[in-house]
Amino acid sequence: MKEKVTIVLFLSIIYGFFLLNFIMKDEELSIEERRHLKQFPKITVSKVLDGSMMTEFETYTLDQFPFRNTFRSLKANVEYSVFQKLDNNGIYVSNDKIFKIEYPLKEKNVMLFTKKVNQIYEKYLQGMNVYYMIIPDKNYYLDDVHLKMDYDKLYQLTKENIKGLSYIEVRDLLSLDHYYDTDTHWRQEKIIPVARRLEEKMIGNVSNHQYELKTYEPFYGVYYGQAALGGKGETLTYLTNDIIKQAYVENKSDLSFHQVYHLKELGKMDSYNMFLSGSTPFITIFNEENKSGRELVIFRDSFASSLTPLLIESYSKITLVDLRYMGASKLEEVITFENQDILFLYSTMIINESVMLKD
Amino acid sequence: MVLLISSLIFYFYGEQIHIWILLLSCFMNYLFGRMVEKSKNKKLILILAVTMNLGLLGYFKYTDFFITNINTIFQSDISLLRIVMPIGISFFTFQTLSYVVDVYRGTVKANKHFLDFATYVCLFPQLVAGPIVRYKDVAEELNSRKHSISDFERGISRFVIGLAKKVLLANVIGELSVILLEANQPSIIGFWVIALSYTLQIYFDFSGYSDMAIGLGNMFGFHFLENFNYPLIAKSITDFWRRWHISLSSWFRDYVYIPLGGNRVSTLKWIRNILVVWFLTGFWHGAAWNFIIWGLYFAILLVLEKKVYGKFLEKHKVFGHFYTVFLILISFVIFNVNSIADGITFFKNMFGLGSLPFISLETSYYIRSYIVVLVIAFIAATPIFTNLFDKLKQKKGFKIVLNGIEPFYYVILLFIVTAFLIDSSFNPFLYFRF
Repeated sequence: MKEKVTIVLFLSIIYGFFLLNFIMKDEELSIEERRHLKQFPKITVSKVLDGSMMTEFETYTLDQFPFRNTFRSLKANVEYSVFQKLDNNGIYVSNDKIFKIEYPLKEKNVMLFTKKVNQIYEKYLQGMNVYYMIIPDKNYYLDDVHLKMDYDKLYQLTKENIKGLSYIEVRDLLSLDHYYDTDTHWRQEKIIPVARRLEEKMIGNVSNHQYELKTYEPFYGVYYGQAALGGKGETLTYLTNDIIKQAYVENKSDLSFHQVYHLKELGKMDSYNMFLSGSTPFITIFNEENKSGRELVIFRDSFASSLTPLLIESYSKITLVDLRYMGASKLEEVITFENQDILFLYSTMIINESVMLKD
Repeated sequence: MVLLISSLIFYFYGEQIHIWILLLSCFMNYLFGRMVEKSKNKKLILILAVTMNLGLLGYFKYTDFFITNINTIFQSDISLLRIVMPIGISFFTFQTLSYVVDVYRGTVKANKHFLDFATYVCLFPQLVAGPIVRYKDVAEELNSRKHSISDFERGISRFVIGLAKKVLLANVIGELSVILLEANQPSIIGFWVIALSYTLQIYFDFSGYSDMAIGLGNMFGFHFLENFNYPLIAKSITDFWRRWHISLSSWFRDYVYIPLGGNRVSTLKWIRNILVVWFLTGFWHGAAWNFIIWGLYFAILLVLEKKVYGKFLEKHKVFGHFYTVFLILISFVIFNVNSIADGITFFKNMFGLGSLPFISLETSYYIRSYIVVLVIAFIAATPIFTNLFDKLKQKKGFKIVLNGIEPFYYVILLFIVTAFLIDSSFNPFLYFRF
């Protein structure tokens, strides 16, 4: 009896999944991994003979395996619960929050970052009011059980090597609660003090802006899919008021105009993209309600997307430059540096991977 | 015929261009078998067969090794041929050689049916990763196999266990060795854990493949001999080699060591025999000096055990076990390094001569992270589970329960293995948004 049960179960699994592979429709995208999934490879004689067909077919099979995410979840659970691993693919859960190991500190990359900042400063920004703020990723605030980069060294190296810019501290204003549980980023509703400090340092006075809180749920951050552990989504809160609503954004890459909050992005692959429509090389926010003519240019990563709306009221115009998508050498084609406030706003993760910043 | 075609498709999936080598080997050795049996000058045919088989193996596996050494010795600049080695050539060459030699010795009769013989050589379960199946062990089953439900079920369980050994233990422990080897903060303890990981990884990888081959064989009505017998519980190196890659060590025993005279010769000749066999064993594993050193390392240990302290080890079994494990760890470091210089650096780091700290934060993190897997692997490398399972099965109540659970145990294991395989394609696009 035992023998027959084993055989029936085994063959059912083998042939069952074989059939399911045929029946189930191939997926285009993996929202969890934020990438396109491999489609069935085109069969050619040359690809069969050089073996690339088989390699592509294996990738396709693994990408399109029925119930792929359920299997990934099973694997994550075995890693955590049976093997008691401290992380799975570098992702770990602590205090019901999901983290990714950011380790080790790549000192060469930090030095490269400081070099790039200095080059931009020397070429375009001398004599202007130039500031920089380094946003710690959320591992900074976690206990020492897990591996994390040497943050003190990172801050020390940047302070020692960035010349001519004024440093604005932010670490004392943040804690773990200021970040999403399932995502890399900080929560906009928690970073009003960060915006006020920037205003205080760059403009000299702190205004008392009022905001209306809007929420969206469920928000699944980038780590949610990577952790593959399931669970509830969280709430994404965004802050708005009449000035933010009236401001408009010009996107230089597609010459489009849109609002500060791109609500159509909510519920798509990455809901965080609702802030200034996500990653894009060069955008300008116009606030016609502010007649001061004061301008701000931010060299930034995606942490700035949710922070910048909180600075709009204090400026007539804010330009955001993302050096991951646009080389610094192209700057003079799109912007004239005159008397703007300049802010370099980068997270520790980008500084540690600064090779991705274009020259 | 179906099995042969399936095996060739299986082989073609991984080896497109060189499938002709496999077919040539089948055809050539089929003819050699027939000719050795019929010819009056059997020895000449045998020499021809050995030369042709070793010639193929030598060309594909060792040409660049010899060119490199000639260049080093004579300061010449002969270009490497960068020959791609056909998958499984070491295994199927040794299988076909054993066949021709056995026909020559009269141990087996030459197979008259080419398709049967080709099925033996190409049989997909053991074609690419062993074990080395001798013709005489499967000759009867090639012609008439008995398929049974119990064999099929045994095959499934063995296959799933082998797959789990490979995917859940060997691959996971392999990750640990890579992580520690590339550590930002290496440490002495880290290098010992790498050595341990190498040993466990190779054991579970290779014995996992052997289990899968034996299991698949069972499903198709073949009964291959065991290739591993808990080698990591061995109490001496001699004992270890009775338990590790049994099909290879017995091959060298029967086709090299005994023909050279075995141990029925003078001590000096015996030592020569041991050195020859273990030089070849090392060289079979790979075309690099570290493999040759690895083989000779075992030759020296086997000579010492036989002539100096073998009896001491027999009396002190606990010591013998630690002694064996220690020497095996060292051996797999030699086995894994890319060059002799790398090996020297590795040993310096292991023994505290490399200016590394005893332990680092990073090493400690990964040891904590992988400790449960390592403990599971330690236990799985012993017969504790199997013995316990067998004992419990002898009790009537337990037998019913275990029989009820067992099929589902394999199903769960199969799902977990599938999950690990699927997750190996996990490839998040990390840097596009923060």
